[in-house]
Amino acid sequence: MYSKIIIALGFVFCTSLNAHEMTPTYPKLVPSYIEGVSVAKMKLFNRRNDVEYYEIGVFTNNWKALPFASTTKVIKIGYNKAKLFEVYIRSRDVAKAVYICTESKVYKSTEQVTLISSRICSKIKQDK
Amino acid sequence: MIKKLATAILLMSASSALAVDSPIQGQVQSKCSVWTETSGVYGHPLPYKLSTTPADGGVKASIRIDVAQADYYKAKFTHPNSFSSSPTLNDSVAWTGSTIVGQVSVAGMSAYEAAKVTYNNVTEFNLTLAGSTWFTVSSTAQYGSTKSLPAGNYTAIIKAECIAK
Repeated sequence: MYSKIIIALGFVFCTSLNAHEMTPTYPKLVPSYIEGVSVAKMKLFNRRNDVEYYEIGVFTNNWKALPFASTTKVIKIGYNKAKLFEVYIRSRDVAKAVYICTESKVYKSTEQVTLISSRICSKIKQDK
Repeated sequence: MIKKLATAILLMSASSALAVDSPIQGQVQSKCSVWTETSGVYGHPLPYKLSTTPADGGVKASIRIDVAQADYYKAKFTHPNSFSSSPTLNDSVAWTGSTIVGQVSVAGMSAYEAAKVTYNNVTEFNLTLAGSTWFTVSSTAQYGSTKSLPAGNYTAIIKAECIAK
């Protein structure tokens, strides 16, 4: 009985879990304060203690990168912290923009390992 | 007597006991979380081979994907086809790898394995149910035909993606 509890506690305390989250799933582009530019508001949550930087990307349906603006294209975010960010897209690109993604930037390792890069993509909700 | 009565009445009317509801609010919205539970480790069973297979002394990578709402996301895994860092290699490397469904939080998720789509070094899963799914990614690299790998550290990157449908 006690050994089972010790194993369970050991598992809880020794296993470090890391996660990458981004919301909303379906962001909406709305006109920004700049004429001819639309904006989507996003939230990134970093629960990966091995990652500090996430790169933002905007893509078409065929995964072709589209130009966009944000306060920074690579977000620095601490462990267990959430960050709100805005993505500005030119109105002429709005119809082509389908995905807003954040991708983790992994550190170069000196060990013989496979590193895991995570990417989450939200799909832009288009007004019909 | 009257003074005491007046004081008591004043106290009773002045101290008001208020019962205020203190609501706890929360919001459940569709979202995907990519949990990197175990980074893989390459074992070196033969001079020309690196492998994450436990029989070869390696550790397979384990990635958990949580989706809060059913049928909002698909998961995509890319197993390595090059080293992100390694000593200088003068010959070609033959890469193999796979992604399979491991543990599941809902029994129906076991069907993801049969329905997965594989092309090149990419495996896609349609996440039709809400909950957690663990994916196991393995990778093997063989240098030259049977040439010895130069000494040094080798790192490769697995890409785990969660894409809104």
